[in-house]
Amino acid sequence: MTRAGSKWITFALWVLFSLMTLVPIWWMFLVSVKQRADLFGKPSFLLNIGRMTWDNYAIVITNPAFQKYMLNSLIVSTANAALVCALGLLAAYAMSRYRMKGKDNIFFWVLTNRMAPPAAFLLPLYLLFTGVFSVGEWSLFDTRIGLILLYCVLNLPFAFWLLQGIIDGIPAELDEAAYVDGASTWQVLRTVIIPLAGPGIAVTGILTWVFAWNEYLFASTLTSVNARTITTGLAEFVTVTGTNWGQMAAVAMLTLLPAALVLALVQKHIVAGLTFGAVKG
Amino acid sequence: MASVTLQSVRKNWGSFEALKSLDLHIPDGEFLVLLGPSGCGKSTTMRIIAGLEEVTSGKLLFGQEDVTNVHPRRRNVAMVFQNYALYPHMTVAENIGYPLKVTRVDKAKAREQVLDAARKVDLTDYLQRLPKDLSGGQRQRVALARALVRDPKVFLLDEPLSNLDAKLRVAMRAEIKHLQRTIGVTMIYVTHDQIEAMTLADRIVLMNKGAIQQIGTPDEIYDDPANLFVAGFIGSPPMNFVTGEVVDGVFRAPGVTVPGSPGRGPATLGFRAEDVTLAPAGAFQGTVFEVEPTGEATYLVVEVGGARAMLRTDKKHRPAIGSPVAFDVPASQCLFFNPADGLRIRRPVPHLQQVTA
Repeated sequence: MTRAGSKWITFALWVLFSLMTLVPIWWMFLVSVKQRADLFGKPSFLLNIGRMTWDNYAIVITNPAFQKYMLNSLIVSTANAALVCALGLLAAYAMSRYRMKGKDNIFFWVLTNRMAPPAAFLLPLYLLFTGVFSVGEWSLFDTRIGLILLYCVLNLPFAFWLLQGIIDGIPAELDEAAYVDGASTWQVLRTVIIPLAGPGIAVTGILTWVFAWNEYLFASTLTSVNARTITTGLAEFVTVTGTNWGQMAAVAMLTLLPAALVLALVQKHIVAGLTFGAVKG
Repeated sequence: MASVTLQSVRKNWGSFEALKSLDLHIPDGEFLVLLGPSGCGKSTTMRIIAGLEEVTSGKLLFGQEDVTNVHPRRRNVAMVFQNYALYPHMTVAENIGYPLKVTRVDKAKAREQVLDAARKVDLTDYLQRLPKDLSGGQRQRVALARALVRDPKVFLLDEPLSNLDAKLRVAMRAEIKHLQRTIGVTMIYVTHDQIEAMTLADRIVLMNKGAIQQIGTPDEIYDDPANLFVAGFIGSPPMNFVTGEVVDGVFRAPGVTVPGSPGRGPATLGFRAEDVTLAPAGAFQGTVFEVEPTGEATYLVVEVGGARAMLRTDKKHRPAIGSPVAFDVPASQCLFFNPADGLRIRRPVPHLQQVTA
């Protein structure tokens, strides 16, 4: 095949895959700005600017329930990302630098936590959250802290795996030089490891943040009113009297927005962070 | 500043013995070089002194103080790593000042000390650069300055010149030696390069397979090697060896007859290329295998006594390949070794000879 021909095939595939990922988002946007009457008319991929409306957004944003769900999601995702990064970094540093027996086994064992389908943990977790992890009247069920801790458990293996590769890429001589220079372990972490692993930590933070932000299964089961997140809040637009498609699409667009913004801004670092250590600088 | 003493220090990695009971005393202010082939335990010894490796057994003293179990940050040693280990995200000034920053030295005072250290290694124009913008020699000097910036008890250098090109290495060698002489600090220097060891050291510790082979001044190690390993490791070209047998005080090998030899039975005779004088009726008879002119001299590779030997001859000397060559080595420059254990067979000391006679 000619060089030009293979270039066209690459281009065609690229367009195809882009459409596959972008069309649903475009469709959702169309639904969110359509008037109720237009929703069930003749479907079109084109935006009819004359009949566009932002009412769905206005209604959703001023809805107190939506505001609460959004806030819950923000708190849970951010706290989860911060906690996971801090714990993951410490674990990865210890694993990377200290000699210990059965190190490879520990690493593998941590990763196996991600191998089972999450749904398998659903029922035991529900029972634990409602019955076991409780003090008097208070239980972990339907609390933000409960979700934060749960997402930590789910995200830590991933963060640990990602960060260990990053710390392994930082030469151990730098730590040794710092120790000989008089630094404590904490100072080594703060002044040498964290600055050098910065991009990697940022990537870990963003990815775990997005995981938590998008999580639906556990959030829908382990929360009811107080700690409900935005992803599960979406389901509330399906009611016995019908589904409010326009508002639901508006909420979905608003849910998408923070993650898309964050990813767009730091996309370059994500690639750098994920390949960190693969090639020694 | 302090002396360093290792008492029966052993280090095992699982079942592998990296160091076999090391005893060594390094007096205050000495420039000591740990020399040996890779894997001989010299770097492990240095890392134990720095505190980066724990000993399996034994003791390490700085002066009178037992520091065996002291964390590296509290040992007050300075170390220059083979790959310099500069912090890539810090400027030259921040790199040099790092030991002061982590030990919370007053900022104004620290700035002064950093400048002072930078001046010593001629780096004042580069203080705001990052390590990646420096040449190999400059990075080396940053590493030295970082070690110099405080007042360490012991100065450790782990093959600091091995990543530099040949010309720079010679220049830095002189700088390091001069530096040590000026500040008079105890310096321990690890290298596998015997020329570096010979030129720098007050004393050399020659190691092999986790054990000390010989401790001595460069002259002692060169002129009076304790065993075959030391004799073969030190010197360029290395010492020539001919194996034969001593019978009634005469060493014999094919084409070699050396009277006045100590011991009896199988022996290995060693002599250096530069101690050879060509003489038609010499005690050594061989043939020229190859001729290697170096400009300052001509080295002959000669087949003699069933082995190959290097002879240093006049720069104009160009014998034909395969031609016979005869030479002599002064009796005092002929060293004998026991081929079984490699140890020197020494001549009896003269006054003892008289007593036994």
